[in-house]
Amino acid sequence: MKYWWKALGVLIILYILLVGMLTPLKTGILEASPANLHTGQEATLTVKGYNSNFTLEKEKLRAWLKMDSTRAIAATRIDVVDDREVKLTFPIPAYLPVDQPVKDFTLLIDSPADGASVLPGGLVVTQDSIDTTKGDLLWVNADISQLHEKQAFTFPYRNILYETIRNTYYHVPMWMAMFIILTAGVVFSIRFLWKANPDDDRKAMALTNVGLFLGILGIVTGAIWAKYTWGKFWSWDVKQNMTAIALLIYGAYFVLRGSFEDPEKKARISAVFNIFAYASLVPLLYIIPKLTDSLHPGAGGNIAFGSQDLDNTMKLVFRPAIIGWTLIGLWIAEIILRTARLRERLLED
Amino acid sequence: MDRKQFNGLNMLKATKKASTTLALSLFPFSFLLAQEDTDFLRSMGKMYVVVAVLAAIFIGIVIYLVYLDRKLTKLEDQIKNHE
Repeated sequence: MKYWWKALGVLIILYILLVGMLTPLKTGILEASPANLHTGQEATLTVKGYNSNFTLEKEKLRAWLKMDSTRAIAATRIDVVDDREVKLTFPIPAYLPVDQPVKDFTLLIDSPADGASVLPGGLVVTQDSIDTTKGDLLWVNADISQLHEKQAFTFPYRNILYETIRNTYYHVPMWMAMFIILTAGVVFSIRFLWKANPDDDRKAMALTNVGLFLGILGIVTGAIWAKYTWGKFWSWDVKQNMTAIALLIYGAYFVLRGSFEDPEKKARISAVFNIFAYASLVPLLYIIPKLTDSLHPGAGGNIAFGSQDLDNTMKLVFRPAIIGWTLIGLWIAEIILRTARLRERLLED
Repeated sequence: MDRKQFNGLNMLKATKKASTTLALSLFPFSFLLAQEDTDFLRSMGKMYVVVAVLAAIFIGIVIYLVYLDRKLTKLEDQIKNHE
């Protein structure tokens, strides 16, 4: 079959839609209240779980307040309200073994049914007076060991992101596919300058058109995602600004093409422009955002999803998604190319 | 009225109708977007943000298809006039 790759593209998109949307998230901790605790207090926290099953094997539930990698306080009382709510009681000592007036703690809950879940830095303990020697004496260190891990096909749970972690399959691959398609486009532009075959210019035009379309989808989906994680559709973040500039440069490619009468001149000048546009893409999308502070993962002061958050289950969806969107893009590019060839033939007659 | 004009008029009507439908169907969304914290898109672990992203992709593909369709129609008309 000649068009197998189009069918493959559709199947991959179907796969990423189904698996990407239907796979549940891991268990997590939504919130713990009150978030402000005091020393010398028997603190009872109301903890809300996400996708949790606290009532399953509830006598084996364990919880800690972690101060750092070695020191933690264990919960003395655990009252399970329902699957999504649990009340934890922690005896906070009168003095902490640290010389800070305010110390942040990480809540850790371990359940044989759900595995271990954390609320990183979600709680603060205020010390009325500081005495590290008394703090050291009073400290009863709880050993955190034999944590459970849930064996299931799940996506990671991340606070703030929650279910939007799935956008990794619908936003990020747009940019990857755009990059692949624009690279193919610039290869044809270079080939046109080398061999002067007008069909290479048409191929470059078709591919660049689809690349720009994928870029627009990327920026729109990114803005929607940003609204619910960063707070605004457009935060004037360096990553957002630079991608907008990159897309405007590619938009100029089509304005340029529209402003020439002579087809040969048009093809030559737009091929040269495309090389410049492509050369600006990597600095704009990847280098400049890495140099300054950005909200975007992978940019300055912010690690990429790939290094920490993109676990093996996510890779099973994320990697095919890049191929899927690329194939769909190539399909559209092929239709644009065939339309352009027809127009060319009409002009020849 | 010749065929080409007729087509153009129909297209205009269809576009008007489509854009009105789109605006009306998106209207309930717009006021959901305006609310903070307790709004619909933030419910269920922000699941509807993913739905909104998928809807945006779908609308984007449809707009792109309409654009390509119109280019092809123009070309068909040129071929027809040529004959």
